[in-house]
Amino acid sequence: MAQASPWKRKLKNNITGYLFLLPTILVLGTFLFLPVFYSLYLSGHKVNLLGEVSYKWIGADNFVRMSGDERAWIALKNTASFALFVVPLQTAFAIMLAVILNAKLRFKNFFRIVFFMPTVTSSAVLSLIFMWIYNSNGLLNKFLELIGLQGYNWLGDPAVAMKAIMLMNIWSTAPFFMVVFLAALQDIPDALYESAMLDGAGAWRRFFSITLPLLKPATFFTVVMGIIGTFQLFDQSYIFSAGSGGPNNSTLTVALLIYQYAFKNLDFGYASALAVALAAVIMIVTLIQRKLFAEEKLN
Amino acid sequence: MKKKSGLVVLSLMLVAVLMLSACGKSGGNGNSGTGATNNGAGEPTKEPSAEQVTVTLAGWGASPEEQDLLNQTLKEFEAKYPNIKVNYEVIADQYMDVIKTRLIGGEGPDVFYLDAFEAPGLIEHNVLEPLDQYVTPEFDVTDFEKPMLDAFKQEGVTYGFPKDFSTLAMFYNKKDFEEAGIAAPPTTWEELQAAAIKLTKKEGGKTVRFGFGVAPELARQMFMIQAFGGRVADENGNAAYASPEAVKGLQLVTDMHNVDKASGEPKEVGAGWGGEMFGQGKASIVFEGNWAIPFLESNYKDLDYGTAELPTVNGKQGTMAFTVAYVMNKQSKQKEAAWQLISYLTGKEGMKTWTSKGFALPTRKSVSQELGYDKDELRGAIVAGAAYATPWQAGATLPTIMNNFNNQFVDAFMGNSKLEDAMKKAQDVANKEIAAAK
Repeated sequence: MAQASPWKRKLKNNITGYLFLLPTILVLGTFLFLPVFYSLYLSGHKVNLLGEVSYKWIGADNFVRMSGDERAWIALKNTASFALFVVPLQTAFAIMLAVILNAKLRFKNFFRIVFFMPTVTSSAVLSLIFMWIYNSNGLLNKFLELIGLQGYNWLGDPAVAMKAIMLMNIWSTAPFFMVVFLAALQDIPDALYESAMLDGAGAWRRFFSITLPLLKPATFFTVVMGIIGTFQLFDQSYIFSAGSGGPNNSTLTVALLIYQYAFKNLDFGYASALAVALAAVIMIVTLIQRKLFAEEKLN
Repeated sequence: MKKKSGLVVLSLMLVAVLMLSACGKSGGNGNSGTGATNNGAGEPTKEPSAEQVTVTLAGWGASPEEQDLLNQTLKEFEAKYPNIKVNYEVIADQYMDVIKTRLIGGEGPDVFYLDAFEAPGLIEHNVLEPLDQYVTPEFDVTDFEKPMLDAFKQEGVTYGFPKDFSTLAMFYNKKDFEEAGIAAPPTTWEELQAAAIKLTKKEGGKTVRFGFGVAPELARQMFMIQAFGGRVADENGNAAYASPEAVKGLQLVTDMHNVDKASGEPKEVGAGWGGEMFGQGKASIVFEGNWAIPFLESNYKDLDYGTAELPTVNGKQGTMAFTVAYVMNKQSKQKEAAWQLISYLTGKEGMKTWTSKGFALPTRKSVSQELGYDKDELRGAIVAGAAYATPWQAGATLPTIMNNFNNQFVDAFMGNSKLEDAMKKAQDVANKEIAAAK
């Protein structure tokens, strides 16, 4: 009995553990893993769900189709250029805000609340507010006129429509990362700054030689999260273009394209394939970053 | 050891509770569904043999006045058929996405609104109930305006009956016309062009009022494609709007914007749509439908405007017609009652109530005559267009065709690309997507 029991006891313990996990497993399974596997399954099929339901296995055809889909390439290009523009700027902006708040300011808490406000506001609501600001007779154009510059048709002109979304996105996401940097800043020991000052380092020198290098883990986190977030851009371009991705595909993002194929064309198979491809792209970009940051860490 | 078995029991209980609560929830839902139908079973009704049934009706939102009118029509229906209860629900946004998703999930409403432009797609997917078998002689199908009825027909089978319609008419600002010394509304495109140039007003290099307010999208420009013999789509459902004939018509639209600088889209002056642009006095002429009349009346009361039929293009009359029908879900469990609802709402009696206030125009000739909209000062031009209008519809592939057209046409309209190239590009991409989806 004593010999058989350790194995049995282990099993019993494990069962208890899994039972405790069961609610979480059920919830995650239903709402996370099941959809992930289902969309993997769908991506290899030609699917018709409306009317007569049919699944036809077509192998990698959906992925082959992607290479010839001009709008998919435009969407990827738009999304990538969006990330390339937004991520560095939002990171720099976040560091700047964090450094300002970390300085010994008056009314520090007041500024903290003001800076953080855009992040706690719903992005759908922000988009609607910004649509008013970007209106041809809106606040931004009036301001530009006031300082003698020419206004734009921000939402209707393909040349600037995406820029308008970029500006808004930087403004609304930077404060979240500001909080990350603020926490990291407070971890930097004052002694470092004091000794640097004794050595005669100026404010800039201290910022570039102490603050920035010590913020590297936070910066890595920010850049990774920023890239994932920007690659999944949907709501803002959806609201700005009323779902079309126009004018001239200039606000078309991959997530918006997936939505169009799934719900406008009811082509769930191809839409799932696009979603899988987007996940792969995000994963690859993140891995590359990890490699870059990790190598520098060794030095 | 004892403690551990206690934990096992505890976690088992937790699981059981979770599962039970989940079951209880779905059970409750099932009960509430049948509860509604059982409610009136005990009450005596006019037809005691008839069972009490609930029919769900889904539509998109409209102005409060319109909503009241529909509710009134439904109340009259329920009074006439006491055994049928109508459960009316408004889908506020992205109507077709919601309807399609619900149809996929088997939770679709029994009866719902369907825009003519979406009809071929749903008919192709075989989710709509053919209605011919239900039609009785009293329903009088021939009374409907033929183009509106045909929009919901495929191969001779009728899938929906149009509840109302509107064509586009020319709305013009009488005060602006007087100031510019234009006596009568333009009747040809050349006259429209001349009038628009005269009516355009600039202040400090910035246009504050366009002569003509235009919507650069396929739904509003389809008749311009057809004016010189062009087509939106061919027999195979492929896009065909890059033909020289089609481009010729569209060129007139883009030239007025880029060469004459006498037309603009609502966004350029910060308006949301043509009616608003017109109401704010930022355009002297717009092509809009019946929906603009109640809007202008409630938002811009003092505006002095008139309507006229659209100017002729290439010597031919043309306009767009938009229509919406009531259709029945093929999976409906209350088909008889659902038909009763459709036949009442699109019948002479129901349609008269629904269109009595002029928010919508009747698709039945008899109702139209009775209410006298053909002689109405503002609505006469809209009714007259029905005779030669192009219904907004072009096969099941229209969503793809439209998306690519709108994307490229705006670009050409803004002067960023040449119209021929833009249309060629839109057509090629659309046809590639259509081929890939097959």
